[in-house]
Amino acid sequence: MKELTNKCPLTPAFPASGCVTIPVTMGGAPNRPLVQVGDAVARGQVIASGDKFMNCPVHSSIAGKVKKICDCTVTGNQNVPCIVIESDGSDRTEYMEALDPFACSVEEALERIKNAGIVGMGGASFPAHVKLNPPKDKEIEYVLVNAAECEPYLTCDERTMIESPERLLDGLAIALRLVGARGIIALEDNKSYIKPLLEEAILKKGYGDDMGVCLVKTKYPQGSEKFIVYSCLGVEIPSGKLPSDAGVMISNVGTFCAISDAFRLGKPLIERSLTISGGAVVNPCNITVPVGTVVSDLIPGVFSIKADELVKVISGGPMMGFSMGTIDFPIAKGTSGVTFLTKKETFLTAEDQCISCARCVSTCAMRLSPLLISRSLQENDVKKAMRFGLMDCIECGCCAFVCPANINLVQRFRLGKAFARSHLAEQRAKAEAQKNQGDAQKSKEQK
Amino acid sequence: MAENRFYLASSPHFSLNLSTQKIMLAVVIALLPECIYGVAVFGFRALAVILAGVAGSVLFELLFLAATRQKIVIKNLSAVVSGIMLSLVCPPTIPLWQVLIGSFVAMVVAKGLFGGIGSNVFNPALTGRAVLFLSFPSAMGARWIDPARVSEGLDGISSATALSSIKNGSLSIEGFDFASYFFGNRAGCIGETSVFLILVSFAFLMLFRIVDWRAPLSMVVTVFAGTFIHSAVKTADLHGALMNGLVSLLTGGLVFGAAFMVTDYATTPATRPGRLLFGFGCGMITFLIRSFGGYPEGVMFSILIMNSVAPFLNNLTVRMYGHGKKGSRRLDASKIDMEFDIGSARPSEIPSGMEGGKDE
Repeated sequence: MKELTNKCPLTPAFPASGCVTIPVTMGGAPNRPLVQVGDAVARGQVIASGDKFMNCPVHSSIAGKVKKICDCTVTGNQNVPCIVIESDGSDRTEYMEALDPFACSVEEALERIKNAGIVGMGGASFPAHVKLNPPKDKEIEYVLVNAAECEPYLTCDERTMIESPERLLDGLAIALRLVGARGIIALEDNKSYIKPLLEEAILKKGYGDDMGVCLVKTKYPQGSEKFIVYSCLGVEIPSGKLPSDAGVMISNVGTFCAISDAFRLGKPLIERSLTISGGAVVNPCNITVPVGTVVSDLIPGVFSIKADELVKVISGGPMMGFSMGTIDFPIAKGTSGVTFLTKKETFLTAEDQCISCARCVSTCAMRLSPLLISRSLQENDVKKAMRFGLMDCIECGCCAFVCPANINLVQRFRLGKAFARSHLAEQRAKAEAQKNQGDAQKSKEQK
Repeated sequence: MAENRFYLASSPHFSLNLSTQKIMLAVVIALLPECIYGVAVFGFRALAVILAGVAGSVLFELLFLAATRQKIVIKNLSAVVSGIMLSLVCPPTIPLWQVLIGSFVAMVVAKGLFGGIGSNVFNPALTGRAVLFLSFPSAMGARWIDPARVSEGLDGISSATALSSIKNGSLSIEGFDFASYFFGNRAGCIGETSVFLILVSFAFLMLFRIVDWRAPLSMVVTVFAGTFIHSAVKTADLHGALMNGLVSLLTGGLVFGAAFMVTDYATTPATRPGRLLFGFGCGMITFLIRSFGGYPEGVMFSILIMNSVAPFLNNLTVRMYGHGKKGSRRLDASKIDMEFDIGSARPSEIPSGMEGGKDE
C-alpha cells in the first residue's frame, strides 16, 4: 500500500480557491484569535495565541485578508473556531529573525520553538516546547526520531527523509542540545535503504558521536511510542506514564524539520507535508501545503478521486485515522495524510458472535486480553476490564483488524475507557465527600 | 452535496477480512485426511457414520435456532465441524441412530442451550460422545474393528484396543508395533488411529494460525512425563519406562484430542498461560485415569473436566506492557552504546553499509 506513493516526491501545492481555513487551536491550550475580519495578514504572522505555558501560537500560512472567523468542521468531525484567510496574490512574508540554535541560551531556544508554533506532527499535536522542557527530575537520555511511519499508505516522512535529511539532522541536533541527550533515528526495515543515506549525512555533518540510525521490524504498531522505545532501547514506558519517565523523548520526522526551519529560516510551522493516498484516489501523491488548506480545495487541481467508488474519507491512516463526514476539512499541523478508501478496502461487515478464537490476545502488542476486556465491559464490570488492561490499550486497532467476527473491539474500548474515567472520578469525588463529612463530624464531636 | 455521503466509523478502517466461516472451513479441510483414511481402513460403514454425524448436527442446530427464533447461522460451518469431530471419535461399528442422539446432545444440549457458538462451556462433540459412551457402553467401547484382520478377509471384529489390553495386562510393550500405531493400522475410533495424519492436519492448522500449540503440547508432554515417571518408579527400568511413555502417546485418542479438542476456541482458555495450564490439567487427568482409574481411556473425561475450569484459567494473563519490574526500569545507557557505531573514525566503512540500497 505504501508503494502507491513512496516514489512520489513531495510537491508544493496550493489551494485552488486561494483560501485557507486555519483552526485557532492546533495542539496545546485553547488559543484566542488576535486578528479581526478585514485585517491584512502576512505569511508567518501570528493570528491566534494565548498567554499560558501550554499555548502554542498559530500563524497565517498565506498572505492576504481575514475573510471570516467562524466554526468549521475539522479532523474528528468537530466544529471549532477557525480563521479563514483569502490570499491577495502577494507573497508578503513576515518570518522571525534567524537564530543560531547553538549560540543562544536554552531559554531563548525554547522561546523560539514556542513562537514558531511547533507541535508534534505525527498526529497528537503536543506542543514541542513543552516536550523539550521536561521536569528537572526526569532526565532525558535519548531523543528518538520516530521515522517508523507504520500506518499503511502514508509515506510523507519517508519522502522527507530522502529529500531533506539535513533538515531532520539539524532539528535533531538542536533537540539534542536542548535536552543534553543522544539521538536515534528509528526506521522500519521496509525503509532500510534510507539508512545509508542518513548515516552519510550524519558523517558529513560530524554528528557521528551523538546520532545513530536504528532499524526496527516492520510491524504495525511499531510507530507507537511505546514500541519504538522498546524496539530501539529495550525499555518499556511504565503503565500510565510518559516516555520521559523512561528517559526518552520521541518526536516525528516532520517536527524536527520544523524545528530546524524555525531557527535557520525563522519560519514558523505554516506548511506541512502529507500523503494523499488510497484506492479511491486517481493519482496518489505526496504534497506540501500551507496549513489550513481545505482538502476539497485540492481537487481536481492536485489530485482527483473516483467519486463513485469512494466510501470512506480518513484524516490520517486507515488504522488510527478519523473517518470524516465531509471532504471540506482543513489540513492542520497534525494531519499526516488523507486516505480515500473504496468499499473493497474498508470491509464494511456486520458484527458476528465472538467465537473466543483469542486471535486478539495473540495480536495485542500491549499483551492485553481484548476479548476478556470486551466481555467484562459487556457485563458492566469496569474493574475487571481494567484488570485485563482496559486503560493500557493504545487503541492501535490490531485486535479489531484480526477479529474474524468483525467485532468492533477498539471502538468498544474507547467507550469503555471514557466510562471508566468518569466512573473513577465519581468514586474519587464520593470518597472525598465522605472524608470531608467525616472530618466535619469529628470537628463537631470535638466541640 | 458531499455531506453524509461517506461512512463514519471509529478506527481502524481496515481489516484482515477473516470470518468465522473461513476458519471453520480450514478446520473441515484439516479433518478431511482423517475422514478419508477412516473410510479407507474401516470401510463405507465409517462414511455412513460421518455423514450421519454431519447431517444430524446441521439439522439439530438448524431446528434449535429456528425453534428459539435466533438468526440462522448454519453458514458459518461450525455445526459441520462439530458433526465431523463427533463421528471421528466414534467407533466405526456404532449404530447410526446412536450417532444422531450424539449429535443432538452436542448441538442442542452442549451448544445451543449454553448460548450458541462461542458461549458453550463444554466441547459439543465430546459431550455428545460422553453421553453415548455412558448410555451405550457396548457399542462405544466393547467392539472394535481391527484393520489387520480385515485385510485377512475376516469381519475384523475384535474385542479390544491396545489401551484396554494394556489395562487388563494382556498386552506387553515388547510386542508393540510402533510403526503401525503411528500410521494408524490399528483398532480405534474412525479418526483417531493415524497419529501421522493427525500431525499433518495439526501442522496445517498451525500454518494458517488457526490453532495455538501451547495447550496440545503441554497435554502431550504431561501424559508422556506422567507415564514415564510412573513406570520408572514402578519398574525401575528406564528403557521400559521410555517405551511405555511412547506407547501412551500413540494409543487411544490422546493425539486426536490434543490436536482438535484441546484447541477448540470456546471451551478452552484464551490466554497463553491459561492454555499451558489447561493442557497440563488435561494431560494429568488423562494420565491418572489411564493409570489408576476404572476406564482404559481418559482423554474425553479429562478434557470435559478441564472445560469446566477454562473460564477461571483465563484469569492467568501474561505481564502487560509497562507493568511489573521490567515496566519500571529506567534506561541503562551503558548497554546501548553500541548503537553509535558510525563514529567519524571509520568513514571508509560507510559505503559497505550500502547493502540496504538493494531494496530499491
